[in-house]
Amino acid sequence: MKNTKKEPEKKIKSVSYAKWGYIFILPFFLVYFTCHFIPQALTIYNSFFENYREGLTQVGPKFVGLANYVKLFTPTAEGTIDILKYTGNTLILWACGAAPQIIVALLLAVFFTSYRLKIRGQQFFKTVIYMPNLIMASAFSMLFFTLFSNVGPVNQLLLSTGLADKQIDFFAYTFTVRGMVCIMNFLMWYGNTTILLMAGIMGIDQNMFEAANIDGATPVQTFFKVTLPLLKPILIYTVMTALIGGLQMFDVPQVLTKGLGMPDRTSTTLIMYLNNFLGTSKNYGMSGAISVYIFIITGIISIFVYRNLTKED
Amino acid sequence: MKRKLIASLLVASMAMSMAACGAKEETKEEAPAASTAEEETKEEAPAEEASADEGKVFNIYAWNEEYKGFFEKYYKVPDGVTVNWTIVPSDNGQYQEALDNALLSQADAADDDKVDMFLAEADYILKYVNSDATQDVTALGVTDFSNTYEYTVQACTDTEGITKGVSFQCCPSALIYRRSIAKDVLGTDDPAEVQEKLSDWTKFEAVAKDAKDKGYYMTASFAETYRPFSNNVTSAWVDENNNLQMDEQIQAWIDQTDKFMENEYTLTSGIWEDEKNAQMFAEGKTMCFFGPAWYFNFCMGNAQDEEKGCYGDWAICEGPAAHFWGGTWLLAAAGSDNPTMLADVMNTFINDEEVCSNLIEKEAQFTNNKAVNDKYASDPDYGNGFLGGQNDTAVFAEMADNIKFENQTIYDQILNEGLQSNLQEFYRGSVNKETAMSNFYKLVNEKYPSIVTP
Repeated sequence: MKNTKKEPEKKIKSVSYAKWGYIFILPFFLVYFTCHFIPQALTIYNSFFENYREGLTQVGPKFVGLANYVKLFTPTAEGTIDILKYTGNTLILWACGAAPQIIVALLLAVFFTSYRLKIRGQQFFKTVIYMPNLIMASAFSMLFFTLFSNVGPVNQLLLSTGLADKQIDFFAYTFTVRGMVCIMNFLMWYGNTTILLMAGIMGIDQNMFEAANIDGATPVQTFFKVTLPLLKPILIYTVMTALIGGLQMFDVPQVLTKGLGMPDRTSTTLIMYLNNFLGTSKNYGMSGAISVYIFIITGIISIFVYRNLTKED
Repeated sequence: MKRKLIASLLVASMAMSMAACGAKEETKEEAPAASTAEEETKEEAPAEEASADEGKVFNIYAWNEEYKGFFEKYYKVPDGVTVNWTIVPSDNGQYQEALDNALLSQADAADDDKVDMFLAEADYILKYVNSDATQDVTALGVTDFSNTYEYTVQACTDTEGITKGVSFQCCPSALIYRRSIAKDVLGTDDPAEVQEKLSDWTKFEAVAKDAKDKGYYMTASFAETYRPFSNNVTSAWVDENNNLQMDEQIQAWIDQTDKFMENEYTLTSGIWEDEKNAQMFAEGKTMCFFGPAWYFNFCMGNAQDEEKGCYGDWAICEGPAAHFWGGTWLLAAAGSDNPTMLADVMNTFINDEEVCSNLIEKEAQFTNNKAVNDKYASDPDYGNGFLGGQNDTAVFAEMADNIKFENQTIYDQILNEGLQSNLQEFYRGSVNKETAMSNFYKLVNEKYPSIVTP
């Protein structure tokens, strides 16, 4: 009896709230496990099978080992490995959109947070630059497709102002098509990045800026010596998320080029390539293999970028 | 990650709201239709009641609104039945994809969600006809094919001779020309004389040069003449060993198009693109288009535009090669829970004289009912205003008997579209022909793993 009486007291003394921590993070892990981990495992599993539809008839699933990967990396008759080409396309499209996006966002963030500039109507500008992000990517691409078509307003404008004597076929050149994709990605995401970076800058102690000011630092010096180093964690985060998003670029080029990645498949991204296998024939084997490839590439590039950005001078 | 999370949340909420809107729209759309049907039945004495043991929802899959319009106007839906349309555009095989998914899960679907009828085009109809996804319509009560054109039945009959549907239209494709331009180039706009001057490809090319000299385009798309060639192939896209093969006719089309592009007789626009469609306006400079009745009544809206169009400045003749293009077949989905209505819809659109007459008179269609077509073909008072009063039914009736449905495969849509879009890059000057063809083969390999490409 004595023991039983004492026991509750002991328990109260050693009460641990740790389990609540686990309970609170449980939903995330449940969602992660069911919606992320299982599909990922299934994708890897599927990539070892021949599994597609021929008309309405199902072919497979039949275990074929690494055949899908071998096929993916087999050079074509011209001696090029297509998937590497599409990886290159994806990286170029991402980089050309992301570089100006981060530079412009950084500038805007600095302007908006500067206690010396005190820009008026900040809320208005912040809303406006965020706007393009609210438009559906496919609608945005359709808009560009129509604007730059052979009989579209841009061509009409060029012709009527005499800037061009013949209509320009914007979809016939790698440069223009890729340019359009980059501009669209830039417009859609720079507002979002600005907001993130602003939050980062506002998190920096204002005394730092004042101190720099008193010490006679020019705004440029302040930016490079104070703002940038202190903003680094947020900046890295921004670049990494943009990179991962960029490697999965799909909707903008897909809709703009009607899935063709024209010209000569130079704007075909990895996911568009995957989509070619997945549409029509539901080829889970090949698209699984491409997914695994994208997963590995994302991992490698992320580590590379992270290492580079966090490297101590 | 957060950014992606936010983005995906936004997308999800957008998708959900869209789905919600879609659902609402559907019900909104159905409601008035149902109520008008009810009103009609109330006014008009005893209408057909849906069989008691049959479903109350009739699901139709289609890739555009064309047939939906006719269905809503001319088919009286039995009392108490709601018609649900699922419309998915056909580009890039999207429609086929959606349809495949629905048909493959047909067995597990609730009765009201089962596909009852779906529309299919010649380019992929065999995929569905030669499968268990469709059912014998003669068993359902569609037995009278005495007035339909032979090829329309051929197309929806499987390898064992079982007919799985009907076509509500017959689609011999004609050369559609601008009368005013023909007068300028050929000196006449009389269909018989124009036909005489354009009766084969050699003549067609010669006239193209004359047109160019006078500042016109012969056609408005590099792919405009694709169908007249591809419809006359003597071999299918793939042989019995699943090798991709290029028929002589396809090669002939490429050769001709090379010439046309080089001499600027035509434009780099695709057949469905704005640039080509802009040529249909009165200020357009293009003489020839190719297409069946559905083409000029459904796809030539620009020409019929009240302000900028040129209504009445058109006429048709057979052109250099007899062919058909498209056509909409109504196929009976296996497992439909509305067999009586299914058969009734099919019978209505091929055998109901009043409906078929309406399709010709009010919709400028060429129906799949020989008797009705012939009646209008021989009627001296009948004429199509868009074609300057020409009796289009007479022209089509003559062409319709020559149509054959052969050398088709289940892959045709993707192969036809893929060849055109990849060659378009060549004609636009982005790639050389070898690259264009190798990109076409790549597309084929991606879409159809079983086809062996060169």
